Amino acid sequence: MKKIPRLCCLLLCVLLIVSLLASCTPEEQPEPVDEPGGEVPAPFKIGIVTGTVSQGEDEYRAGEQMKERYGDRVIHVTYPDNFMAEQETTIGQIAGLASDPDVKIIAICQGVPGTAAAIDQIRQTRDDIIIVVVSPHEDPAMIDKKADLALDVNNLARGAAIVRLANAMGATKLLHYSFPRHMSMELLATRRQQMEEECERLGMEFIFVTAPDPMGPDGIPGAQKFILEDVPRQVEQHGKDIAVFSTNCGMQEPLITAALEHGAIFPEQCCPSPTHGYPGALGLDVSGIAGDMPKIVAAIEEKIVEKGGAGRFATWPVPINMALLRGGIELAILALEGEAELTNMEDISRILEQETGVSVELQRYSEDGNLFLALVGSVIFGLDN
Amino acid sequence: MDKHGVFRVFSKRITKENFKSILVQNIVPIMFVILCLVAVRWSGKPLAFLLQEVVFRMSRNSFLVLSLVIPVMAGLGLNFGLVIGAMAGQAGLIFVAARQIPGVLGLLTACLVALPLALGLGYMIGRIMNMARGREMIAGMILGFFMNGVYQLVFLFGIGTVIPFSNKSMILPSGIGLRNTVELGTIRWVLDELLMVRIGPVRVPLATLALSAVLEVLITWLYRTKLGQDIRAIGQDMRVSQVAGIQVDRTRIVAMMISTVLGAFGQIIFLQNIGTLNVYDSHGQIATFAIAAILVGGATVSRATVGQALLGTFLFHLLFIVSPYAGQNLLGSAQVGEYFRVFVAYAIIAVSLALHSMQRARAQAAQKH
Repeated sequence: MKKIPRLCCLLLCVLLIVSLLASCTPEEQPEPVDEPGGEVPAPFKIGIVTGTVSQGEDEYRAGEQMKERYGDRVIHVTYPDNFMAEQETTIGQIAGLASDPDVKIIAICQGVPGTAAAIDQIRQTRDDIIIVVVSPHEDPAMIDKKADLALDVNNLARGAAIVRLANAMGATKLLHYSFPRHMSMELLATRRQQMEEECERLGMEFIFVTAPDPMGPDGIPGAQKFILEDVPRQVEQHGKDIAVFSTNCGMQEPLITAALEHGAIFPEQCCPSPTHGYPGALGLDVSGIAGDMPKIVAAIEEKIVEKGGAGRFATWPVPINMALLRGGIELAILALEGEAELTNMEDISRILEQETGVSVELQRYSEDGNLFLALVGSVIFGLDN
Repeated sequence: MDKHGVFRVFSKRITKENFKSILVQNIVPIMFVILCLVAVRWSGKPLAFLLQEVVFRMSRNSFLVLSLVIPVMAGLGLNFGLVIGAMAGQAGLIFVAARQIPGVLGLLTACLVALPLALGLGYMIGRIMNMARGREMIAGMILGFFMNGVYQLVFLFGIGTVIPFSNKSMILPSGIGLRNTVELGTIRWVLDELLMVRIGPVRVPLATLALSAVLEVLITWLYRTKLGQDIRAIGQDMRVSQVAGIQVDRTRIVAMMISTVLGAFGQIIFLQNIGTLNVYDSHGQIATFAIAAILVGGATVSRATVGQALLGTFLFHLLFIVSPYAGQNLLGSAQVGEYFRVFVAYAIIAVSLALHSMQRARAQAAQKH
């Protein structure tokens, strides 16, 4: 009688193991088609790890695009929404891809915590897999060494680049909206510093305005209201050749609206992409053309020109993470086929330019590392009109 | 051997008569077994991969889950304050990473640094739990949030200002605060690879598993001692224990201290397997997941055994491994599996807590009649 509970446990375990075995019968594993006339067996598979749509739609869609491009050769999985707390699942998902011997490329976007550990785990059993990490969250110095190829936006160089762009668009002054919480972030503070220096170099005036923190008591609506009210004041005081920039995502839409209405210059969003701020500010419905960037850019351009903002509004022509993920995978495929070198600057530039359709400026994070930082050329709306 | 039933999964012996009540009482693990069976069937993953993942997850999580058993026995409920133990463990790991102490020595040093911290913090938690009697779980959870703030203050602001720190590569470029990721290169897999045995295609970290086994034996042994008997007695009825001359407050504090220290060691074992420490997040949900695992094994707020802890860890993590793949294969979408997994993890905690309350209310009603 006493043995019964333990017997039950044993029974449970046996049941589980039997079901494990059952799930692994050969019929579940499709054999490569080898018969004459059948499809040529895929040489290798590509594993893609992205967030779900609720975390960041761009990356998930880029994963889907790759699936369209390469069909069943692509295995697309997601990391947990709550990725900060569920590293084990992230590791399991990434390492799970390596359990398929046909997988030769694993691309992770974004490189959330757990990525480095997963790479270590994969490397224990497989050294024939190319691991691409896009937008690493973990310490860049570490990913630089661990990934075979890592790609990220060159956020620091953007500081000077934005000022140069504004200058080229005719701005004589640059207005930087931010607030203390953002300015305590190292990257944003350094970028502001660089903007200030570049302004001085180009003989432009740098103006810093403290906006309400969207996380403060007034929330995002309060911050947006401030932008809508402040831009006209600034334009009145400094003239129309003033470029406006804000470090906060929520402020982009009112910033574009106000700049367009009052004639200021808008060189770039905090996170440059055609879909960030522009569609909302212009009342553009992108539902029919979602994901088709050239069409979206054309639609924005039409509206901007129509409202008299030609040559004074710009952005990056692609959501950069999408392009980096697609580019990283394409490069890895070429590297596997022996047609490109993973860490060759020229090859990376070539592929990224192919994916973005514009020029890409690359910088290597460290001399012999594998992390490359990309800066993309901007499209200035209505420049040719 | 299992005289005190700590290894037992079911609360009663199964007979024909009480079969139904046992079924009702163990509805959570039974539900989970069914879920796991379905998910495993549909995941389409090779057996070797699933076994390998389960073995690794068992090895790194068992210790943490086991550290929950003693507070439950002492009537303190599920120890949501486990995160605080985990923070102490991480402090030990940061010390070792800064000094680059290699191998087993590094692991032992981490434990030694964590030990006094965990003892002190455990004492503090125990004292507060004694004040918040009857609301230990929510108190523990809030204490965890509070200590998280203190932890961030220490490592994000204290390092480089108040606390001198020699290893510059671990500090943010501004010279204040730790970087968000710390590489545990010198002690990565140290324990796992001490005794790595290959069984077929699966690599089994015997040393890590043995450590959990030792803890199981120690917990069983503890129940035979005077302290263990006291813990069980106050877990059953604090008032009666007090009358019987047991120092209730002191025993509860001791139970909390043991759990916190075990939590610290558990986190060290966990992170040596992961290999990198995310300074500000690694401890985040340690308690929630360990508690979910033990609940899945059929434990309740007032009853937990080693057997339940192990069965729960196995089932919970097996489902975590297979559910994303099962969701993907069943519904053809990469994200649905993820949503399904999250829903299950939290639903199970809610269901077990609710079921326990219902069962207790029913038992009280039965007593009155």
